[in-house]
Amino acid sequence: MTPGLRRLYVPRPVRVRTGEGGEPLEVDGVAVEAVREEWLVEDRWWAPGPLRRRYYELALADGRALTVFRRGDSGRWYRQRA
Amino acid sequence: MSAPYVELHAHSAFSFLDGASTPTELVAAAAELGYPALALTDHDGLWGSLEFAGACRGLGVRPITGAELTLRSAGGDVHLTLLVESASGYRNLCRLLTAAHAGTRDGPARTATPPAATLGQLEEHAEGLVCLSGCARDGALAGAWERGETAAAGRLGHRLLDAFGRDRFRVELQRPFWRHDRARNRWLTQLAGRLGVPCAATGNVHAHSRRRTHLQDALVAIRRGETLEESEPHRRGNRSSALVSPAAMAARFAEHPEAVAETVCLAERLRFDLTTDLGYRYPEEDDADHTLAELCRHRLIERYQGLPSWADAAARLDRELATIRQLGLSGFFLLHHELLELAREVAAEVRGPASARAVLPPGRGRGSSVSSIVCYLTGLSHIDPVEAGLFAGRFLSEGSTSVPDIDLDFPRDIREALIPRVHRTYGADRSALVAAFPTYRPRGIVRDLGKALGLPPAEIDRVAKTAGFHESREEMGRDVEAAIGAERAVAPRWKALLWLADDALGLPRHASQHSGGMVLATAPLVEVCPIVPAAMAGRQIVQWDKDSCADAGFLKIDLLGLGMLSAVERCVEEVEATRGERLDLSRIPVDDEATFESIRAAETTGVFQIESRAQMQMLPRTQPRDLDDLTVQVALVRPGPIQGGAVHPYIERRKRQREDPSFEVPYEHPLLEPVLAETLGTIVYQEQVIEVAMALAGFTPAEAEGLRRAMSRKRSQAAIREHHRRFVAGAARRGVPEETAERIWRQIQGFSGFGFPKAHSAAFGLLAYQSAWLRVHRGPEFLCSLLNEQPMGFYPPDSLVHEAQRRGIRVAGPDANRSHLLCHVESPPRSVEFVHGGETNSTDAELRVRIGLGYVKGVRAEEMEALVAERQRGGPYGGVAELASRSGVGLASLERLARAGALDAIPLGGATHEDRRRALWGVGAAAAGHATGSGRQLALPLEPPAPPELEPLGEWGELIADYRATGIALGKHPLALLRDGLGPEVLRSTDLERAGDGATVEVAGMIVARQRPETAKGIVFLLLEDERGTVNLIAPPPVYERHRSLIRTAPLLRARGRLERREGTINVLVTSVAPLDVAQLPAVAPAGHSFGRRG
Repeated sequence: MTPGLRRLYVPRPVRVRTGEGGEPLEVDGVAVEAVREEWLVEDRWWAPGPLRRRYYELALADGRALTVFRRGDSGRWYRQRA
Repeated sequence: MSAPYVELHAHSAFSFLDGASTPTELVAAAAELGYPALALTDHDGLWGSLEFAGACRGLGVRPITGAELTLRSAGGDVHLTLLVESASGYRNLCRLLTAAHAGTRDGPARTATPPAATLGQLEEHAEGLVCLSGCARDGALAGAWERGETAAAGRLGHRLLDAFGRDRFRVELQRPFWRHDRARNRWLTQLAGRLGVPCAATGNVHAHSRRRTHLQDALVAIRRGETLEESEPHRRGNRSSALVSPAAMAARFAEHPEAVAETVCLAERLRFDLTTDLGYRYPEEDDADHTLAELCRHRLIERYQGLPSWADAAARLDRELATIRQLGLSGFFLLHHELLELAREVAAEVRGPASARAVLPPGRGRGSSVSSIVCYLTGLSHIDPVEAGLFAGRFLSEGSTSVPDIDLDFPRDIREALIPRVHRTYGADRSALVAAFPTYRPRGIVRDLGKALGLPPAEIDRVAKTAGFHESREEMGRDVEAAIGAERAVAPRWKALLWLADDALGLPRHASQHSGGMVLATAPLVEVCPIVPAAMAGRQIVQWDKDSCADAGFLKIDLLGLGMLSAVERCVEEVEATRGERLDLSRIPVDDEATFESIRAAETTGVFQIESRAQMQMLPRTQPRDLDDLTVQVALVRPGPIQGGAVHPYIERRKRQREDPSFEVPYEHPLLEPVLAETLGTIVYQEQVIEVAMALAGFTPAEAEGLRRAMSRKRSQAAIREHHRRFVAGAARRGVPEETAERIWRQIQGFSGFGFPKAHSAAFGLLAYQSAWLRVHRGPEFLCSLLNEQPMGFYPPDSLVHEAQRRGIRVAGPDANRSHLLCHVESPPRSVEFVHGGETNSTDAELRVRIGLGYVKGVRAEEMEALVAERQRGGPYGGVAELASRSGVGLASLERLARAGALDAIPLGGATHEDRRRALWGVGAAAAGHATGSGRQLALPLEPPAPPELEPLGEWGELIADYRATGIALGKHPLALLRDGLGPEVLRSTDLERAGDGATVEVAGMIVARQRPETAKGIVFLLLEDERGTVNLIAPPPVYERHRSLIRTAPLLRARGRLERREGTINVLVTSVAPLDVAQLPAVAPAGHSFGRRG
């Protein structure tokens, strides 16, 4: 990337503890109070970097609303600024 | 019913360019996943509903009929899911879908616009239907929520509730794993509560498996004409539209268990089954049985009284009439008879009362109907089934559940006039054409997918050009590698193209009309199947194809246009015009020795069915001696007998039988002898599959017919497995060893139904004989009619002409003072125009086929008609300017005529010249008429002066001009002109007669035909023509792979190989090929015909 330019809305890694169904129970140590929405993006399967992400829109115990996703390839979790 | 969920919303590929699986694939997946029932709800159509219901029946899933209807509302088009509960609901659904399509081809070009019904129409036809409120994105309620129009959604919800009532209206919940699923479903649940109706969960299935969801993405891009990237907002975004198990669906809707349970309740209620409850009845008179019997008995006396076959015929008629009565088909036969009478009227109008064609029947039966004596007596067939020994089993079997096939072949012009007449006679609401579903083919799918994947257009074009029919994934892979290089071919997008193409091949792409199938009904058809406007004005189609129409038991008649019938009729007319002789083809001798000699020598160019390269190779070996032999011959070169392994044993046994009359035909099992005796122990005819199954495995006629049908349709593997099991078991009960039964099963399976019924072959064999007779005895007229009926047959016009010339038939080029619009036969030196009939003594040598002015490429037909009419009125043209002035032909057409040599005989500067360059000069110098702003400037009849000295075109120049102008070279053959430069090692086709078997030879010629049959394991057959005749080349796969583009595209070729001689046939097994470069010729020479797989 060109020096001096910064990408906006870059997903940031987060630590997530999940339940049996794979749903997040805790994000960076904060408990999840409710899963508001859950959706799935499976796209660009025809290109070198296929996309597979499971998104959760969460209400956390500390009152924050947060959207996180789990990458299908690496299994890693990220937070997404809405 | 133990499953927790039933899928009530599924799209098949009959939601064109949206659904990605066939109905049968969906049903098979549903059966595997444990669904007790499944609904098919394609967009605005029931196209696949009967295939779906049939597949369900076979796999133990209960079919629910439905459709997703587009509703035109104030806010735009929205969707509703409609499911059929009762017969009246089905009728209403048909009417609604018909209404939705009614105005879709009203534009001037009749291009299709999207279908949609109005709310008023929906309210009028709500009875008997269950309505779900539609999908997540475009549903009547959910869609409105997505757009923020909640108040409007509430109002629409109330209207739908009023229309369908609390029992039959449900709010539809979907979970496509989109961002606002939960919010949307919460709102929908609340709305349902306010309306006082339950919710029902659905999956909006678009594919039977996860893998197929990728194709679904691609189809959306194709539908929108965009790339996958561009179509992102319109695609589904993930793979959740695949059918998953009932338990997985219940888990997906864990927050709405009542909506899941409701699907099971609804499925319990939705018991309408298309396979049993359609309610269609054939059009039938009250005393049809009696009327048909009377008609047949009357004709029986006419045809058979006093003949030795009388008793047989009478007994057979009684049997057939009894079966027909039992099946309730008397009305069916009467209707066909009535239709043929209608065709007779139409034919009389089309042909004109004075025509020599008037004695010909209006059409002929083909297919299995020809085996029936009832069809023979009612005029539907022209083959005496008693004399021809035809088996009526396939056509009529007791216990059969389907209606017999009756196909009628008509000359093309009669068929065109007959179809609208049928609409007029039976009423627009009672007659419609059958639908056809063109499926994805390699070339089209490469182009469509290539575009969707955003691949470079030039590369797509290169790959598409090399892709042909019947291509496998491996072959397509090689095409891609050959076109763009191995390195690029491994890129993800190219790899995606290959597997997507593999999935897409064979899926229906859109709906169109079948070539000639019509369905008729006494009640309005629109109550049994939706009807949509066809692309051709004045025609409409039902939403079912021929298989579905047959399954529905519709009265279907096939009115097919057959080019050879047209050609034979033209020939009869031409013979009358040239010789004053009225030929009655039904009275020509059927055992003419000269005709059979020419057939045995494979001199059959232009003859119906037996003119192909494969047929010509076989004729010298099978040595046909009578019509029965021709009947076998016509049936033999078909994929069924070839793949079933019948061809070589048949040829071999026939040869043995010829050499040794005491030769005993070996049968796989003695039980087969009675049914396979006439084909020497091999399965050649379609009904022999039936007869073998009955004789060897004890199948009933109806079971055996079921087997034949299962094999003649694709994608019914499950049914075939079941038949296989019963076949082997049945054979075992009759003491047939398992190994033998399996071997015979393999023959049956190889045959797969891709063969002719004997009766069909008999009809085609007769036409083959008649055309061979005309070729031998009325050669010039026959050639002339073939040229006028193009395109048809195996050979391009150029080859037909060359072959005729080699037989001494004289052919002359277009001539403005002699030609008609079409080709005709003239008797020089008298101008045939002023002589009508009275020349019965003309011999072939005196006759001359004159190429018509219509053959000159690029001229306007109406100008040529005017030219001929004016000449017939005022006599021959004395000069180019006079021609232009009298006929009004414009400069552009005149130039084309001059280049074609059609003005060579028009005097120029007071003398004739016989040279195209001078004629062209004359056209330029004469003041021809030309178009002006306000019309046409008339030509002045001022003849130009004599042209200056112009160098003549020369032989090459004329050859190239001929190919450019008419596609037919009448002068020297290109190989004759090239011969001197080829060297002595290149043999002429006739020299091969003297070369020894196994000799290495070299030949050269124009490629007349290329064939790469599906059945030949990659071998390519080429027919090469030189100045003396033709040579058969066989290019094995390695040679073909080395010279793919040359073999596929070069008009001229030089080939080296080993000569193979077998029972009167000569082939060259090619080891290498080389181009034969001649300046300009490749650009203008005919490309030759290509057949079969082009991979």
